[in-house]
Amino acid sequence: MIVQTSQGQTRLINEVINNGLCVRCGACAGFCPYFDYIDGKIIPLAPCCSDTARCFQICPLAEHGEKNESDESGIGDYRKIFAARSTDPEIVSRAQYGGVVSTLMIYALEKGEIKAAVLTSRGNGSSPAGFLAESRGDILSCSGSEYTGSGGLSALNRALKAGKDMLGIVGLPCQMEAVRRMSMVEFSGENLSAPISLKIALFCTWALDHRAFDDFLVKNMDGGKIIKYDIPPPPSEKLVVQTLKRKMEYPLSDIRPFIQQGCLLCEDMTGETADLSVGTLEGSKSWNTLIVRTQRGEDLLAGAVKQGLLEVAEFPDENFNHLMEASENKRNRGRKRRIEKNK
Amino acid sequence: MTMISEKTGGIALLQGNESIARGALEAGVTFCAGYPGNPSSEIIETLAKAAKDLPIYVEWSVNEKVAFEAATAASYAGCRALASMKQNGVNVISDFLLNMTMSGTNGGLVLITCDDPAGISSTNEEDARLFARMGGIPLLEPATAQEAIEMTKWAFELSEAIKNVVILRSVSRLSHTRSSVQTGLITLSDAQPFFDTSKPYHTFPVVAKHEARNQKLDQAREIFETSHFNTYEGPEAPELLVISSGCPWNYAAEAVELMELGEKVGLLKIGTTWPLPVRLLEKYLKISDKIMFLEEVEPFLEDNVKSLAAQLGHRVGVKTYYGKMSGAVPSCGELTPGLVMKIFSDIFHLPGNTGTYKDEIDTMIADKLPVREFGFCPGCPHRASFYAIKTALAWDDRNGFVSGDIGCYTMGIWPTGFNQVKSVHAMGSGSGLACGYGKLERFGFDQPVITVCGDSTFFHAGIPGLVNAKFNGADIFLIILDNSATAMTGFQPHPGTGITAMGDVTEPVLIENICRSIGADVEVTDPYELKETAERIYRLMKKTGPRVLILRRKCALVQGREGGFPFNMHVDPNKCIGEDCGCGRYCTRIFRCPGLIWNSITGKSEIDRVICAGCGICVDICPQNAIIREGKVE
Repeated sequence: MIVQTSQGQTRLINEVINNGLCVRCGACAGFCPYFDYIDGKIIPLAPCCSDTARCFQICPLAEHGEKNESDESGIGDYRKIFAARSTDPEIVSRAQYGGVVSTLMIYALEKGEIKAAVLTSRGNGSSPAGFLAESRGDILSCSGSEYTGSGGLSALNRALKAGKDMLGIVGLPCQMEAVRRMSMVEFSGENLSAPISLKIALFCTWALDHRAFDDFLVKNMDGGKIIKYDIPPPPSEKLVVQTLKRKMEYPLSDIRPFIQQGCLLCEDMTGETADLSVGTLEGSKSWNTLIVRTQRGEDLLAGAVKQGLLEVAEFPDENFNHLMEASENKRNRGRKRRIEKNK
Repeated sequence: MTMISEKTGGIALLQGNESIARGALEAGVTFCAGYPGNPSSEIIETLAKAAKDLPIYVEWSVNEKVAFEAATAASYAGCRALASMKQNGVNVISDFLLNMTMSGTNGGLVLITCDDPAGISSTNEEDARLFARMGGIPLLEPATAQEAIEMTKWAFELSEAIKNVVILRSVSRLSHTRSSVQTGLITLSDAQPFFDTSKPYHTFPVVAKHEARNQKLDQAREIFETSHFNTYEGPEAPELLVISSGCPWNYAAEAVELMELGEKVGLLKIGTTWPLPVRLLEKYLKISDKIMFLEEVEPFLEDNVKSLAAQLGHRVGVKTYYGKMSGAVPSCGELTPGLVMKIFSDIFHLPGNTGTYKDEIDTMIADKLPVREFGFCPGCPHRASFYAIKTALAWDDRNGFVSGDIGCYTMGIWPTGFNQVKSVHAMGSGSGLACGYGKLERFGFDQPVITVCGDSTFFHAGIPGLVNAKFNGADIFLIILDNSATAMTGFQPHPGTGITAMGDVTEPVLIENICRSIGADVEVTDPYELKETAERIYRLMKKTGPRVLILRRKCALVQGREGGFPFNMHVDPNKCIGEDCGCGRYCTRIFRCPGLIWNSITGKSEIDRVICAGCGICVDICPQNAIIREGKVE
């Protein structure tokens, strides 16, 4: 389906950004001079006049008649599901959990499946930002989860603008949705998502508003460079911030006020349009959950396992049931809130 | 040798300001100081040129107050001295002015104020004449360039006769109109400066000094009674007596002639507007029952003549007055001959003069000329600075805003400066206001404020605000837009430029050294580096305490004079995507440098080769890299 690009910046600003629904996926930034992503925020810089603006069309939060809610259930379409972990000690030492995402991306890059990977890094300062990784070292520098909106797709837009192709991308479900919408937009005669060769989604329940969360940390932390964030699986109900000096724990009830409002409308926990989806494995600190959804994903995984880069194991039934339940809960909550919002 | 410093007199074509300068030279002035400001600037500039040929001293001072104080010192030492400024400058000197007028002067001292009715190049259109009344100071208002020469020359004599300062008021139209004049001989002063320590200058005892000042005013009034600068032209008993001063007298004379009202209207021109010559006015108030006042800005003559008429009572009788109070004359703005004709038409019920010249011209050209708004020049560093400020404020996204100041960058209130500046009033007020904003946090104020101030403005009145911020711990972020010139008024030198009004080389006063010694964090960068500048501003906005960012880049016009810019610019039409998504005509619609033009036929942007200065910064705003800069071939 080709969506006509005829609705632009004004609707994006009025309906998404000023409505407090922006989840800072970065899809609207990095392509034109009218939007910037900086320090966890999408910033409209000037009024655009283009009547062919694509920004509103590809925004995952925009409602423009194109179907928003998934008609999937559970974790969406998938071929296989595993417990998986990296065998590379360097990756494991830096990984949030099992190091699966870094391993797969490095494998895809080194095998020539992709030429570069759009990732999220900690940014120059303390804020996460999109990053175009072109080497193993680049990919390793981006390992670890951020838990705040990161504008990662602005790096995709910059790469597209620079004419890059065969791109891999690691992103949250909202970012996968933006990429899916890009695949439906033809721009100057070209499919916007055509240069994307591989999509790996990260499980996501919600993400925090970076600036609000940062203010909270400034007030409630005695400085120090943050090296890792973690929200251990239920019933921990806490956010753990690891700095060079110490480990700080905050009850989730203190953190929830900073959840991006747009995240509460999201119905996709696992990134259902990706080739592969990766998340935590409940009850384990060294394994990931790995969902294989496409042939491309299956081939990549097979290659990585064959080379001994990844170890896979059968996915325990109990974990599967919990995953389905969590995913279904998020879908139902999001659907309900969206219906309420549109009333 | 310029025409101005020609020692013998003759016929010359002089601007009003040049006439004032010539009059001062003919009076034998030796010490001249001022601060630039339209419409006054050419007075000091002309005198500075004359200083190459004549034994006089001329300076651009750091501000008007210092200029007037320096000139007053020369007077105390027995020299004839002059200080020149625009109307706002008189506010700056007012504290000293209203004190020194109590203690008097020695050598002739003349204060020249060039007022700007309608605020053509000013933030207000105030009437500085009111200071004459407040300070008990004689006031002269020339109506023509010839009178400007003669009145200026005479003002020094008057000052020495009554031993007090004399104010001479010009307005934009006189200061900037060129006319044929007869000049006189230039007098070379041989006064040996000497301060007589037995005659100190101070205001104590206050009441006695006040009384003495009033006596000087009475003395001036007596001299004014017979002054040839006050003239009457018209019938013995006119239907309408028009009392006017300065330029409006010309407009009235022109209107009377064009409308053939010579048998009905009498014109009383008052050149000595304060204190009013009582007997002269009594004589003329008696000749008509209808009195009209034509003057620009405040009803100065109107109020004072009415007050006098009330005092004279039955001796002049009851009058019908036409002026600003009756509504016959507009209470603000400039007068014009056309407007005066319209006023006469209304009073004499004459048909056919309902519109002014200007109205007719406006109608004729309405759809034939493009609308032009105020704009920064091509290559102007202020455009780059405001672009970076706009970007940083947007990134920051906390409803931040810019507190402005006086200079070309005042135009930051308009689209050329991306409408970033949200308040502008007086020289140095930006940093003063910043001191207030910077202490509101305790009451819940959380908007970041950027204060912008020019280099000359910083020296003039911006420093105390920064000192105060340091002293009181105000959170101030001052951006000094240092274009290394007093650009708005015509590139006059200032303490940071390393050259004086007379062209002497001097050690520059460094802004960063001043700011650092105050205790502010100081950074310096080139605003042409758009992205780096925006990032610096964004980073500095997050800091607290006094911090100064100096955006240093010479005024584009100065760069042009010094050899121009290094680049030839062009747009690659294959790369330019015009109005399409991804650009949306960003360069001509948002950045809006006049050197960039939109070709609606090709749907591409182009460089206007006539206007483009070649600064090259638009390369960095084009999202398609379609704007190309190439080094000029020598």
